[in-house]
Amino acid sequence: MSATETLARTAASTPSRAAQPVDRESRRLGFRLTLPTQLLVLFIAVFPLLMQLYISLTDWSPLDGVSWWKAWQSWNNFANYTDLVEDRRWWGALGRTFIIMLVCVPAEFLLALGLATLFMDDFPGKRIFYSILLMPMMVVPAVAGYMFFMLFQSGGPFNGIVSALTGMDIRIAWLSDPTLALVAVMIADIWQWTPLMFLILLAGLVGVPEDQLKAATLLGANWRQRFFTIMLPRIKTIMVIALAIRVIEIFKIFDTLYIMTGGGPGVATETISVYVYKVTTQDLIWGYVAAIALVILIVLSVLAVFAMKRMDAAKNGGAAVQKGARA
Amino acid sequence: MTTIRLENLVKHFGDFTALKTMDLEIRDGEFMALLGPSGCGKSTTMNMIAGMEDPSGGRILFDGRDMNGVPMGKRGVGFVFQNYAIFTHMTVRQNLAYGPKMRGMRRSEIDRRVKNIADFLQLTPLLDQKSAKLSVNILQRLAIGRSAIVEPAIFLLDEPLSNVDAAFRAVMRTELKHLQKQFEQTMVYVTHDQLEAMTMADRIAVMDHGVLQQVGTPLEVYNNPANIFVAKFIGAPGMNLIAGELAETDRGLAVDLGTWGVSPPLSDDLAAAARAAGSRAVQYGFRPEEATLGPEGQGLRARVTFVERIGARTIVHVESGQTAKIVAGNDVACSIGDVVSIVPAPQAVRLFDAASTAAIRGA
Repeated sequence: MSATETLARTAASTPSRAAQPVDRESRRLGFRLTLPTQLLVLFIAVFPLLMQLYISLTDWSPLDGVSWWKAWQSWNNFANYTDLVEDRRWWGALGRTFIIMLVCVPAEFLLALGLATLFMDDFPGKRIFYSILLMPMMVVPAVAGYMFFMLFQSGGPFNGIVSALTGMDIRIAWLSDPTLALVAVMIADIWQWTPLMFLILLAGLVGVPEDQLKAATLLGANWRQRFFTIMLPRIKTIMVIALAIRVIEIFKIFDTLYIMTGGGPGVATETISVYVYKVTTQDLIWGYVAAIALVILIVLSVLAVFAMKRMDAAKNGGAAVQKGARA
Repeated sequence: MTTIRLENLVKHFGDFTALKTMDLEIRDGEFMALLGPSGCGKSTTMNMIAGMEDPSGGRILFDGRDMNGVPMGKRGVGFVFQNYAIFTHMTVRQNLAYGPKMRGMRRSEIDRRVKNIADFLQLTPLLDQKSAKLSVNILQRLAIGRSAIVEPAIFLLDEPLSNVDAAFRAVMRTELKHLQKQFEQTMVYVTHDQLEAMTMADRIAVMDHGVLQQVGTPLEVYNNPANIFVAKFIGAPGMNLIAGELAETDRGLAVDLGTWGVSPPLSDDLAAAARAAGSRAVQYGFRPEEATLGPEGQGLRARVTFVERIGARTIVHVESGQTAKIVAGNDVACSIGDVVSIVPAPQAVRLFDAASTAAIRGA
């Protein structure tokens, strides 16, 4: 009811906007010029989404021998969604994804914030360290996965270093132990994605107006006070964006992890992406896959909208600051 | 409430010398303007007083206490930045309370100070507003209030009016001068705008290329510039300077200005000083406002090249080998190409040594 009201109000307000001197001819031209793009968007975004929604309401599988548009023949009245609620493997995968998120994102954030703060000052060799720090981000995830697979072998370099440090011959089978495998996967993720967070936060910190930091110093603020009262509040928006990016990315964690553990041992490191992958390629129940994917999409969209809102707020706030300085 | 002394202050940035040497005393409660074109070292001087930069040599004394090594947060310096550097993510109240809070004052003391300063600066109704959306004059008051609340010994202002449009600048100037009177604070004001320096400062320190050129009250600097740079820099338009040679005439010592003719005889004081100085090549100077324009005949001869009518006054550009400007009334009748004669007021004539550029002054 309220939705229709909103629609009606929008429709009512349209004529007043149309009263602007844009004649019908140029509006028609505008429509024609944007038509190819609109069709493209329709084709690559809207159409697959509708298709996914449609299939998610059926038991369709590519093995059925029925074309997907005839999937209505196996219409199942939201059974996929009710199954999902009772799917313990799904909940397990979701839980593990959350655990990885709750460990990795804060760890990456704190590490990155610390590093970014260090990099605000000049020190010898800064450029070299900067390049080294950004390297993990450039490594192809599959390669990183293989690298960590080798590192964490029971006779691998990781145990070698620990052995050398402790003086004992340590041969931990990292990737065969359910708990340690999860730890190994998290270490790999932190190694690979701290640089991205570092880069974003550094950009934010460098953008903090120097005058404000000087003003704070002159007013008697020490380094710690400046950090918490000026720098952190000033990069709040960027922090939210960096965190949102990483949270969304962790939901999709797949390639490195899959090469390291394949989701195992058992299902010990199975995240939602790995689970979806397995259901898609091994069980081949695509109606169910579509339902899972749609649920994930909705969750991530909510996160993305939240991040976008923050970004908008930042843009407006930034504009106000600039206006203040210029006026 | 502090006297600031700068002794042999020097600053190098690598090979570049920003400040050659500077000796200056800023008195208690004084409004001192550091005036000069950009790159003259005025901001560097100010930053060293604030402690943002360390001097390469020399000393800065606050009431006789050497400030070398004292960190900027401990100097008791209030600094108003060019863009005010207001913490835009905070409210007006949070901005004002920032200094006291960082110094660990008690809550009740902070509230008392914020209330007093807000009342004083008429910021009370705005206390809980976000400072990002305030207008410039309020930002200026807030910036001053935020520094004043910790009761600094001196205030340093770094071109605070340069971001303000011309019409509003006059309002801000008045307000700033008014505030300074009320606070009775020692203030150092950096600017490249002579109008700001002339209208607000008790004394002006004119600087150029890292060298202090002259220190004096606005009128001293205007009337008796110490050298050619100050003569040209102060005043709009600046002082007319025409190269010439001292010449004895039957009516006394005068200056032979070549194609302009021979100047009227110098006043006795000036003639005596010029004779004592010894050098013959001089620059003959007079303010554009202190010369009268007459028909050809007596005075200096020149041709009118341009007539700027700006309403209340008319600026007549004249040329005879060298150029000069005359400020006349708005009803002056002359047009481009006219040959006119210019009679500088005798008491307004200044002489400068052509080689050293220093003023030749009577006793």
